Amino acid sequence: MKDIVRTWLESGRIDLFLGYRLVDGHPIPHCFSKERLEEVEQLTESLARYPLEKIAHQMLQKDPAVRIGLMARDCTQRSVRVLAAWNQIDMDRIRVLTMSCCPSDAKDKAFCSYLQEPETGPVRKSNGMPSTGDPDDCRVLPAEERLRRWLYEFQKCIKCYGCRDICPVCFCKDCGLEHEDLMDKGVVPPEVPLFHLIRAVHMAGRCVDCGLCEEACPVGIPLRLLYRKVNGIVTDRFGYRVGQTKDQSPFNVLGEFSPLELSSLDD
Amino acid sequence: MTNSLADMDRSECLFVIGSNTTETHPMIAKRILRAVERGAALIVADPRHIQLARFATVAVRHRPGTDVALLCGLMHLIVRNNWHDQDYIRQRTEGFSSFERVLQNYPPERVAQITGVAVEDLVRMAEIYATRSPAAIYYAMGITQHTTGVDNVKACANLAMLCGNVGIPGGGVNPLRGQNNVQGACDMGGLPNVLPGYQPVGDEQVRSRFEEVWGTRPPGQMGKTIPEMIQGMQEGRIRALYVIGENPRGSEPHLRHLDSALEKLDLLIVQDIFATPTAQKADVVFAASAVAEKDGTFTNTERRCLRVRKAVDPPGEALEDWRILCRLADALGAPQNFEKPEDIFEEIRRVTPSYAGMTYARLGIDGLQWPCRTEDDPGTPILHVGSFARGRGIFHPVAHKEPAECPDDAYPFILSTGRMFAHYHTGTMTRASTHLDREQHTAYVEIHPKDAQTLSIEDGDQVRVSTRRGAVALEARVTNRVRPGMLFMPFHFQEAAANILTNPAADPVAKIPEYKACAAAIEKIMGGETAQERSV
Amino acid sequence: MDCRLVPSVCSYCGTGCGVLFSVIDGTLVGTYPIKTHPVNEGSLCIKGWNLHEHITSPKRLRNPMIRRNGQLQPVSWDEAIQEAASRLRTVVEEHGPDSVGVLTSAKITNEENYLAQKLARTVIGTNNVDHCARL
Ligand code: SF4
Ligand code: SF4
Ligand code: SF4
Ligand code: SF4
Repeated sequence: MKDIVRTWLESGRIDLFLGYRLVDGHPIPHCFSKERLEEVEQLTESLARYPLEKIAHQMLQKDPAVRIGLMARDCTQRSVRVLAAWNQIDMDRIRVLTMSCCPSDAKDKAFCSYLQEPETGPVRKSNGMPSTGDPDDCRVLPAEERLRRWLYEFQKCIKCYGCRDICPVCFCKDCGLEHEDLMDKGVVPPEVPLFHLIRAVHMAGRCVDCGLCEEACPVGIPLRLLYRKVNGIVTDRFGYRVGQTKDQSPFNVLGEFSPLELSSLDD
Repeated sequence: MTNSLADMDRSECLFVIGSNTTETHPMIAKRILRAVERGAALIVADPRHIQLARFATVAVRHRPGTDVALLCGLMHLIVRNNWHDQDYIRQRTEGFSSFERVLQNYPPERVAQITGVAVEDLVRMAEIYATRSPAAIYYAMGITQHTTGVDNVKACANLAMLCGNVGIPGGGVNPLRGQNNVQGACDMGGLPNVLPGYQPVGDEQVRSRFEEVWGTRPPGQMGKTIPEMIQGMQEGRIRALYVIGENPRGSEPHLRHLDSALEKLDLLIVQDIFATPTAQKADVVFAASAVAEKDGTFTNTERRCLRVRKAVDPPGEALEDWRILCRLADALGAPQNFEKPEDIFEEIRRVTPSYAGMTYARLGIDGLQWPCRTEDDPGTPILHVGSFARGRGIFHPVAHKEPAECPDDAYPFILSTGRMFAHYHTGTMTRASTHLDREQHTAYVEIHPKDAQTLSIEDGDQVRVSTRRGAVALEARVTNRVRPGMLFMPFHFQEAAANILTNPAADPVAKIPEYKACAAAIEKIMGGETAQERSV
Repeated sequence: MDCRLVPSVCSYCGTGCGVLFSVIDGTLVGTYPIKTHPVNEGSLCIKGWNLHEHITSPKRLRNPMIRRNGQLQPVSWDEAIQEAASRLRTVVEEHGPDSVGVLTSAKITNEENYLAQKLARTVIGTNNVDHCARL
């Protein structure tokens, strides 16, 4: 891995490489460059996942000509495709170095934090949404019960916007979650369930199921489950699978066109 | 905090009083919610219906300023039912018998009358706190910002000791520090009565030890607290004030009084990152640095000393605060030979025993919790294990007192001030942030729907809130988060500064002003009037 | 182009969450939570997520200033420091060290707090040191 990165940087195929290195025992994202080749020795894989593609996106916005290498898990690669489909990045500017993640007996070091079962205590079991991540698991619950449980989850929200801020495919300059016309501002929890439904609608056909939002959510709302659900609808209705193609989703609602959101909620 | 944040995962009961944790310490609220979902009991006592109350086993809204009565009421019930930890009391505390006599004045019926909390709720709270062990108490400014602040804190400590909850994992009495480095500022001797490491200025030996390192003997006479300094300014005894990174014109009670004091100074030096209202009054302004612009350390609410690292240079000509201080000392003829913050930290270690074992290398990213006395000391996650710092824990009898100012005909409401989730302190930092400003752009006052109806105030109306000290105009937010008869106002907004209204009456010992309760009136502003403050 | 990610600590409330500043070409562009930090374990509140915004605000003070003819005017550091020092000296000479007060801060580092109280106690010679902890 180190050799590949070194070769890429030396040969000029990329200008910079986004990977990880250990700082005081913590894996921290780091940008390796040709000027500091010796640092490549410190390159390491990381169990903790950061949205490297989001950082790359920011770099490309500053300088569209820069070529960036990316240590990429499967989810990273999916979001790179989505970002390209939405014309946020130029695929030619990104080169990915695949990191072994989704576990299998045949692979070494395969690990993904989002496959860990979240902690569930008795209160969570009786009030929260079962967060196995599979929407089908929830269908066993009667609809009313599902609603009650979602409402319990949404009431915990402290409105940190972390789910949006960490999301590799949330890039709207003018985010619908902050529109005064749509949402009461300055109160927590944010309007239940509107805040979460708006984001869910936006994630339909866009969410790459990386689970970073759920990991960043301080209060443990099973967000990935919510977005899987809406994505499932897009897949069922339009046969579109997020992050698998270079095409935009047939279902698109952007922050810039936020008034659309209300009508799409009525669907 | 006597205990650690990680320790919350071990508590069986969390008692949150006077802290709107999900808004003021959200990442601590995260752990509270996690504990609740794991099955721990949660007791919430706050005059407002805060977000945490939705997840509580018992939540009560007591009348502002009645914390002592509430806590004594709980202790009365605990003793009456024999739920207290008698072994612990015998082995580790003193003063219990006289304290127990005082508790007899707080039968639940009387407490219910004072606090407005139903007797059944009192009983449930007492039973849950006393029987679900270990139990931890968390409190914030809702406890301390009262004329009875010190009594409130003592009452919390009494309750914890009564049930044997001090010095054990998952227990403790845990104040949540409001500002990021309050703990560090205190640890470093930013107080008139103690040198770094809480070593009293009056102690000859302590002063000699500092003299060895500093080369100058620190003065032995106690200095002045902020309210005393302001008084001194009024009387011409304080002639120069050097304010670093603070905006007293936003945070001090009774703003007008402070302004006239500032006028009387010969010299006001302000060191800040923004042109705060205080800086605008200054004679000399030092342009300072923000968090990402310097190296150093902060100490958080669980006594964890953490490394802060420089990521960018300060803007323009602005300088790191430590450089400014060194240059000023130099110009005053006392050169400080520090080339980098780490050099200063090395000196801190020499004079502060509780930091002696820390080095920048050891701090890393995780930090270390003091006391950490030697380089192989792993730090101290829980204080008072085995015994209290001063031997036995002492029960201090405390008695209920009404707030310094109670509602009357002219000012029929109780006004509390505090924070809201998107802003911080006097707003100088958060209001310069686009996203935070977008989240809440204007000042507002919360009023209960019933009161609003009586006064024909609707949500979003412009209203005038007034007290004996002044008046401000702002927007009404009609919500049942507050109790009837109560108003709540965040203090982050200079254009409607809550502290024009608040009462400077302070706790006699801690000198903390009563921000959580003063008498106020509210009226709707009829068209035409501008949102100007009016002096009384 | 250069991009750096620098671990640090949130400077808003007393929780002390671990943050990661992202810096592109010397400009702060974002704040992330440190995933493995013992305090915040990978999350932040709204203030933490936007920590970089107040730092890059155009309202930041860029120069030291001295009041001249009633107006605060930008000056060099030498001038500002000299002005402060000489006027402080005058006050101390005329009214004694206890006529000076120093307010340290919960927003500056331990090192800076330490220096501030040391300056008050040894250079000026007063224990009139306090900070806004109670507020
Ligand atoms: S899982 Fe969450 S963070 Fe990842 S793409 Fe979907 S919404 Fe964004
Ligand atoms: S991350 Fe969680 S708490 Fe934060 S805004 Fe999103 S849902 Fe709410
Ligand atoms: S508008 Fe929707 S899609 Fe865009 S950033 Fe906001 S939440 Fe994400
Ligand atoms: S991120 Fe929020 S909870 Fe954490 S220290 Fe900053 S203000 Fe406090």
